[in-house]
Parts: sequence; C-alpha cells; structure tokens
Amino acid sequence: MAPKVTATTISLDAQTHEDTHVHAVYDQIASHFSSTRYKPWPIIDTFISSLPTGSIGLDSGTGNGKYLPLPLDPVKSVMTIGMDRSRNLLLIAQNAGGKERSREVVWGDVLGGCWRRGAFDYAISIATIHHLATPERRRAAVERLLESVTPHGGRVLIYVWAIEQDVLSKRSIPGEEEAQVQETAGRDVFVPWVLSKPTAKGSPQLDGEAESPQVFNRYYHMFEAGELRGLVVQAAERMGLSVGEEVAGGEKEGVEIVQDGWERSNYFVELRRWKRVNGI
Amino acid sequence: MVRLITHNLLACHAKGCTSNNFPLQLKDVQLEQREAEFNPDFLRRFMPKLDWGALVDTARQLGDDSLPLEQPEMFDDDFLRKLHHVLLEVSVEEGAMVCPNCSHIYPISNGIPNMLLAENEIG
Repeated sequence: MAPKVTATTISLDAQTHEDTHVHAVYDQIASHFSSTRYKPWPIIDTFISSLPTGSIGLDSGTGNGKYLPLPLDPVKSVMTIGMDRSRNLLLIAQNAGGKERSREVVWGDVLGGCWRRGAFDYAISIATIHHLATPERRRAAVERLLESVTPHGGRVLIYVWAIEQDVLSKRSIPGEEEAQVQETAGRDVFVPWVLSKPTAKGSPQLDGEAESPQVFNRYYHMFEAGELRGLVVQAAERMGLSVGEEVAGGEKEGVEIVQDGWERSNYFVELRRWKRVNGI
Repeated sequence: MVRLITHNLLACHAKGCTSNNFPLQLKDVQLEQREAEFNPDFLRRFMPKLDWGALVDTARQLGDDSLPLEQPEMFDDDFLRKLHHVLLEVSVEEGAMVCPNCSHIYPISNGIPNMLLAENEIG
C-alpha cells in the first residue's frame, strides 16, 4: 500500500525545517531514491533538445543528475551542470548517464547565487522549489534562476508538484479578493519515503528479526493553479523585469512566459528573458 | 570534478561580496586528467561565453600555458584541441577556491566544490 500524504505546518524556522525534512532526508535515502528515478520526463528532453549546440545550463536541484545527460538524441551538444543540496545525491549524479565521473556537479543551495550573473544560456529546476518552506523563499529561488541565465534570451524551465486535480475541482474558483491571500495558496504536506532495510540477496529473513522499514517524512509545498506563475511575476517585479513578450518601442528588459501548464500532477512554466539593445 | 569550464562560471556569493568576486583562486589543488570526447562544434559555439582572461590565468596558475592571452579570432583544429584539454580534461579533485575579494574559502572534495554558505553569510 502506498504511504499516505499528510498535511503539515511549518513549526520551525524555514531553514531548520528544510534541513530536517528535506536535506537530511535526501542524504539518507539518496541511493534508494536514485534507483527509482531514472526516467527523464519527455517535456524536459524536448526543452533541452531545442537548445542550440554550445549552450551551457544549470540544473538547480539536480538530485541524482538524471537530466544531465540530456538530450537523449545527441544531435546537438549542450552541457548541463548539476547543483544540489544533498551531497550524497551529487556523488551519484557525478556518474549520471553511466560514464564514471563524467558530470560536473556543485554542492549548493537553490537560494544561493554562486554563479557569474547571466553566465548560463538555460536553467532548469525540476521538482525542487516545492521543497522550500515559505512563499518568499520559493520566490527567491525563481529570482536566482532568472539571474543565472543571460538577459539576452536566457531560458528557464521550472517544475513543481501540484495539488491533485480532483482535489482542485472541489474548490470553487477563487474570486479576486480570495486570490489576493497569498499565505493560503497551495498546501504544505509530508510525503513519506519508506526505506526498507537492505537484506542480503536471497537470504531468508529470520523469524522475528525482520526490521521494520524506516520512514522519512519529506516536506513538500503542493502548488495550486496559478501559484507558480504568480511567483514568476513577483520575482520579475523585484528584478525590474516586465512580464510579457518583447515589444518594439516597449519595455527595455523583461521575461516572457513561453508556456505555463499542468502535466502529470505537476505545474510547469517555461520562461525566456529578453533585453532590447539600444532601446530599439 | 571541478573542470575549468565549471570554474569559469563560479563566483563568490557571500554577503556583500558583489565585485571582484570572480574568478575564484584555486589553492592546494590535486589535479587529475580525464579524457573527454572532443566536440569542436560545442567548443566553437561555447567559446564566446567564456571569460577568456579568467580561463587563461587559471590554466597558467596550474602550469598549463598552452592557451594564448588573447582569444584568437580564427580557431584551427590545433587550437580547439588545446582549448578542449584545458576546459574539459583538467579536473580539480581536491583543494579549495578562495574569493579574491573577501577571502571566503570554498573547499573542493571528491571533485565536488562546496558552495554552501551559512544562513548569516547569504547576501
């Protein structure tokens, strides 16, 4: 039986909460987690495949690095550098794609900005920002992603976990007043990870010695419809970027929301930065 | 690994450290040479994004002076092979990177640079 997702609240300060319920958990479950995460999602391969040869990118929250070897069909050559908060996952990510220690990985935090500004052509952050415990921290993570890519056409793809559709449908569509209340957007939950104790292959379990599996509660913020887009708009505002397509004679610098959607229980958003040269 | 391609992207992000925070200075390094697939198309298109001065300086500090101080305008195969080697085949396995501005130290261990800051060091 699949373990239950339970509602939770953030009782500790946000950093401590994430340290306890995200970073420490992934470090402990790294190897088991990685063995279940080997198939890249098609939209992400499509995104990486659309980049021109010579592109360099950041995978912020790379986990076991399963997106680092993309594109699957290597007609184009790009390079993605992986960053994660869990060092044990990075030790696995170094070997992503099967070739030993062929990947570049950095131990870092999605809220840090350890890169030359605008150094990357693209940045992806897949199933990561939903592990941050406050709206401000999630928005800051979006800002760091936008800062990491070049203002001249830098592209960003973000995926986060969504509140399930059937749950959503029970809600009435919020009116304008209701939608203003940011604090109540989305839902904070624990998603258990059940780590069975490794047993030697084929060895029969001794009666009464079967250890009960260890359960780790991972913290997630489940996003609701429109919430990810809202974070992007707030992040852009703080960075002085207009939101929308590049218009001749219009704003000087901005970010375009290329696509924004829901797929298999996740919300995603694809962004493109633009900057007009000489104000034309 | 920290190959020089990655080093060319990393900058100090300690609180208040916003200028002269790149490139990080390599210190007490253990290097390893790792063969990588030569891809001239990637290199040609990627090259304009490099901070050339930082790459050449860093390579020279590591004892490799195969690259010219000025980025050449024409890239022949010989040059691209040298660039390939410096950028993608020299890897720092152990050591540290030190910020030229605030002297913050980022350790490198098992080929993984530790770019984490304490909560009170984040800008």
